[in-house]
Amino acid sequence: MRHVTPDTIAVVDRAVCDRCGLCLPLCPPEAIHLESNVLTVERETCTGCEKCIGPCPVGALEMVAYA
Amino acid sequence: MPDLDVLVIGAGPAGAVAAWQAKQAAPELDVALLERDRAVGSPVRCAEGVGDAGLREFANPDGADWAARKITRVIFLAPDDTEVKVAERDVGWVLDRTRFDAHLAAQAAAAGAEVLVGTEATAMARNGGRGGDNRWHVRVKQRGVDEIYRARVVIGADGVEAMVGRWAGLDTRVPSRDMESCAQYVLQGIDCDPDAIYLQFGDAIAPGGYAWIFPKGVGVANVGLGLVALKTDGRNAREYLDAWIARRYPAAARTGYTVGGVIVHTTIKKTYTDGVMIAGDAAHMINPLSGGGIVNAMKAGRLAGCTAAAAIRECDTSDRRLSAYHRAWMELLGDDHLKYYRIKQALEALDDSFFNGLARTVNKIPQEKRSLGRIFAHALIKHPQLIPVAARFFV
Repeated sequence: MRHVTPDTIAVVDRAVCDRCGLCLPLCPPEAIHLESNVLTVERETCTGCEKCIGPCPVGALEMVAYA
Repeated sequence: MPDLDVLVIGAGPAGAVAAWQAKQAAPELDVALLERDRAVGSPVRCAEGVGDAGLREFANPDGADWAARKITRVIFLAPDDTEVKVAERDVGWVLDRTRFDAHLAAQAAAAGAEVLVGTEATAMARNGGRGGDNRWHVRVKQRGVDEIYRARVVIGADGVEAMVGRWAGLDTRVPSRDMESCAQYVLQGIDCDPDAIYLQFGDAIAPGGYAWIFPKGVGVANVGLGLVALKTDGRNAREYLDAWIARRYPAAARTGYTVGGVIVHTTIKKTYTDGVMIAGDAAHMINPLSGGGIVNAMKAGRLAGCTAAAAIRECDTSDRRLSAYHRAWMELLGDDHLKYYRIKQALEALDDSFFNGLARTVNKIPQEKRSLGRIFAHALIKHPQLIPVAARFFV
């Protein structure tokens, strides 16, 4: 669980996401889930570390302001 | 509540072989093999190349409908497109993974395992301690309905996501530098040697990885690449692939597309715990140098299946008993992967000019004498800093 509220967090564009699952083991706080063929980033768990952003083969993840 | 001896999660090569071997080793056991997708073997997230000898331990490719193409040559392409042909007999095969995975699952079914498609494990917890039944309780979703399956042993063969390991408290996370981001098209109408696989290196083509052409027939091939995001110029794998294909095969028809992650790391520190074993990609059992994982997954699946069968017969599925699986894997291939990983790290320090120069040197060796060993020897002469790495590898 995170201790500090991040300025930005990762979100997934489900129209672009191919559900390959590559980002799941890259996420240190394990905030990304793939269930029933839908990828989800937990808003309250993401620390904004950006480790999932570059490796996505199709660029389906991006950082947005946490508001 | 279904009550199982062995519950295998994921019906790829690791899981199918695990279920098959567990049931074959101990026919009295109840074994189930779960596949999240509606069909085993689909979608394909794989370049489908496999070595001949390893494959034959599990299935005979001669005349099989799941073997798309026999490969007898490897052609390395330097960053400047210099070709280096390495001919070896019986190099390997390009599979039709949809059919191959179904073939392995059918082997499991023929041995008596129950294969359940469209069936997704979504969580699990151990019901241990006082008053517990010492089973894993796995929440399984099928056609939108949740059910709890009880199992003495769970084998996690759930691929790159590795959720089973996570649920069991094992560390299956991957550092970014050890994740290859891959994209691949099926291209039709291309001009390439249908008996050869092509591998091209280059910082502008596939930084930290390589691009490949794996033929599935005459004029048809899996054309893709894997790269390490930390080394790129900001483009993603698909964009790098589009650029490579635009240069190499601008007129080809793209009749298929896939993406995925390949973990080029070493085996996770602990692949087992009470009543759980992790096998294949989920346990990072991929050759970190080649990115190949199919045969490794089947070998790990066999070890996990046989260990599960023996452990249940002995009424001991404890952490300590299942550690035999980890030891057997490390002895079989895991320790080799530690060496390959060091070679990978050494190769990462080399640049395009090194590979261009090496290609020209190696081409002076007559083709019939050109082997991977000789190529490596030439690399050592040109780059003595590789010698300590090679010494560790060969000693």
